[in-house]
Amino acid sequence: MNWTEVLSESGQIHAMSATTAASHAVHPLPFDPAIGQATAGKIGMWIFLISDAFSFGGFLLAYGILRGGAEVWRHPGEPILGINFTAGLTFLLICSSVTMVMAVANAAEGNRSRVSRWLALTALGGALFLAGQYQEYFGIWSHGLSKEGLIFGRSAYASTFYLVTGFHGAHVLSGTIYILIVLLRNTAGKANANDIEILGLFWHFVDLVWILVFTFIYLL
Amino acid sequence: MPETPAGPTSHGRKPYLIVFGLLFAFTVLEVLVALPSLGIGRLFKGSALVLLAVTKAGMVALWFMHLKTELKVLRWSVMLPFALPALYAFVLIAEASWRLLL
Repeated sequence: MNWTEVLSESGQIHAMSATTAASHAVHPLPFDPAIGQATAGKIGMWIFLISDAFSFGGFLLAYGILRGGAEVWRHPGEPILGINFTAGLTFLLICSSVTMVMAVANAAEGNRSRVSRWLALTALGGALFLAGQYQEYFGIWSHGLSKEGLIFGRSAYASTFYLVTGFHGAHVLSGTIYILIVLLRNTAGKANANDIEILGLFWHFVDLVWILVFTFIYLL
Repeated sequence: MPETPAGPTSHGRKPYLIVFGLLFAFTVLEVLVALPSLGIGRLFKGSALVLLAVTKAGMVALWFMHLKTELKVLRWSVMLPFALPALYAFVLIAEASWRLLL
């Protein structure tokens, strides 16, 4: 499906499908000195992400306080967290952030088919990350942490690990589902450049949080 | 003169690829710094890892989330709340660690 580009007075490119322009057009908003031409959806997503950052901040704070105040953090019999495998997962999420930013750039340029391709790759990255996390927890081709003695509720080390990484994993899962929904809508000509940009904000946030989780939970 | 307004604008690909390369390089550096066999001191290791993580997170926010090209008011409205948990963390973890030393 072809997209047309509409240039607003400020020179921005607003992409829209030619056949769905009437119902899904990206109308240039009046310029606001504080938020420019950001849509209500984009501002709403930023507010959600800030509140979500506080949720992650709360978890990481609890982790830091428990660890900082613990005389023994990792008890005998509990496994050391594997860095190399998780570094691979980190690289995977970084790659998926790049594919997402490519989707956003192509959406701004009005190339709907390329947007679908990049979104599909991003969803694949999310699915692979989830598979990696399942392997780490329960094991697919080798023993997972739960079989090596890292049991939720047995120690603060185990509980904080599962809570923080599990909460992040829930974000990856919901983000992957979100991508697939927008991908279907884009293929059907129902998503516009703003929808892709808002989706991109969520996915990059998931990547951003993982960068911090990787450092605080695995590396420090 | 007004700043460039925010919105779904067309961005060049080159900055994304540069940021991707830097994120990859910093991740490799993080893993190297964390290796116990290198024998890096705890304070230096911790500081370096936190600095690298904050730099990486900042790069994602500024370039991938396009905060760099947003208007100042929106940029700071987002970045300040993101930074506050780090301040709380520093104060609370320092306090918890200090109590352990008593």
